[in-house]
Amino acid sequence: MIMENGIAITAKNISKTFHISEDSHNTVKHRLFNLFNPPKRKDVPALKLTSLEIKKGECIGLIGRNGCGKTTLTKVLAGVYPTDTGYIKINGSTMLMNLGVGMSQELTARENIYVSGSVLGLKIKEMDKLFDAIVDFAEVRNFIDTKVKFFSSGMMARLAFSIAVNAGADIMFLDEIFSVGDMKFQEKAIRIFESSWIEGKTVVLVSHGMQVIKTYCSRTAFMKNGQIEFFGETDHAIDLYTADNQ
Amino acid sequence: MILKILSDWFGRTNKVERLWLLAKIEFKLRYYENKLGLFWALLKPLLDIFIYYVVFQIVIRQNIPAFASYLFIGLILWNFFVESTTGTIQILNTKKYLYEYSNMNKMEIYISTLLSNAIGFFFNFIMFLIFYTFLEKESTGLSLYNFWMLAVFLNLFILSLGMSLILSTLYIIAKDISQIWIVITSFLFFLSPIFFKLSTFKEALPSFDYGNPVAGIIINGRRVMMEHLDPDFQLMGFDYAYAIFLLLVGLIFLNRLGSKAAEKL
Repeated sequence: MIMENGIAITAKNISKTFHISEDSHNTVKHRLFNLFNPPKRKDVPALKLTSLEIKKGECIGLIGRNGCGKTTLTKVLAGVYPTDTGYIKINGSTMLMNLGVGMSQELTARENIYVSGSVLGLKIKEMDKLFDAIVDFAEVRNFIDTKVKFFSSGMMARLAFSIAVNAGADIMFLDEIFSVGDMKFQEKAIRIFESSWIEGKTVVLVSHGMQVIKTYCSRTAFMKNGQIEFFGETDHAIDLYTADNQ
Repeated sequence: MILKILSDWFGRTNKVERLWLLAKIEFKLRYYENKLGLFWALLKPLLDIFIYYVVFQIVIRQNIPAFASYLFIGLILWNFFVESTTGTIQILNTKKYLYEYSNMNKMEIYISTLLSNAIGFFFNFIMFLIFYTFLEKESTGLSLYNFWMLAVFLNLFILSLGMSLILSTLYIIAKDISQIWIVITSFLFFLSPIFFKLSTFKEALPSFDYGNPVAGIIINGRRVMMEHLDPDFQLMGFDYAYAIFLLLVGLIFLNRLGSKAAEKL
């Protein structure tokens, strides 16, 4: 019933505005003392009215210049931020990935692997099977019972990437993941991508690397000033992006 | 039929497993980080009992029979409430890594943390049983009434969950809620019959056992564990209503405020 018509995410008329107040009015004391003196607010419309639909198994590209709302859109689509208007229907578990995702600094690598896997909807038994693959891929075998707060940022990123690749949610949002790790690890990451990994998975790929977008994405959205200007053929989206950068 | 549906559900989802995994890790984090480890979890109530015993039985002669056990059961119930409310005010902050990158249901974070507290309560409760049966001179022994404790604890669990939801979501918009709550808990602590004689308490503050939901839970806990009585059903019904009401308010708060946690904290 979930995959009725093969739609992974339906978003209708979604938008997101951040209210940034200039003074910090987030204590009871402040609120009481400034009852008749409301804080100055600045509204930042990060995402203007947008609708889109992502099919199951699609690899979607998301491009645009810095500050155009890519991250906000991914967070709203992943269900991390609530939308201000409209509605979103998400079929399945989601995972947002950029550098150092979803891991607790206080837990060891082993615990983090199990917790993340569990959050992504896997059972302990399934995680037991995947465990070695995750550890070896991330190249952290010798530090498996070390708290991740003692990890280098490269190790953290590799571990996160490895969990994402091996455990994987139904819908993955990958934000600039190809900048993770050294060259050897990047090659490995790309190999994974080129193998059958993305088949059957719904992926939203955010990147400034046009080569990556061109290679993997069937459709691409080009964003500008919090709006999706174009959503369709990848080549055309890349042309628009290149023109915008001139 | 029902069994089949249940086992199907357990087979397909990993929710129960996940709650248990998160609870276990939370418990480990809390007690295995320091040198004393789990030992501290067991030692802490004993030390508290020692302090209150000296003050209220030796200095102020209250003459409550089996006072150490009286304190013991009251304190472990109270400690569960405090750990699950004061201890979880910042939960959306400390557990951000769980919901910041996925669409995991936040309710699971609360339930797993309270489960971990429940494990702690369980150990303390076993200690109480050992103490009460073997060490307490004025003990009346165990009885079937003890099983009512399950209902009493469930009541406490729902109450704590509701309060925890309310406080931790208010924390998003008002950071100093933790200071305010500390004042409120110390008010509730001294106005619940944890170390007073119940009759003194009722005389001085008539019907306050209805005003303070934890008071009723402690009173009923003692009735079923130490006095071989049924719980005071009227009080229990009232406390359940209290707890369920707070839980509903908490759920509304979680929906309204909690959903903004990822962007505000």
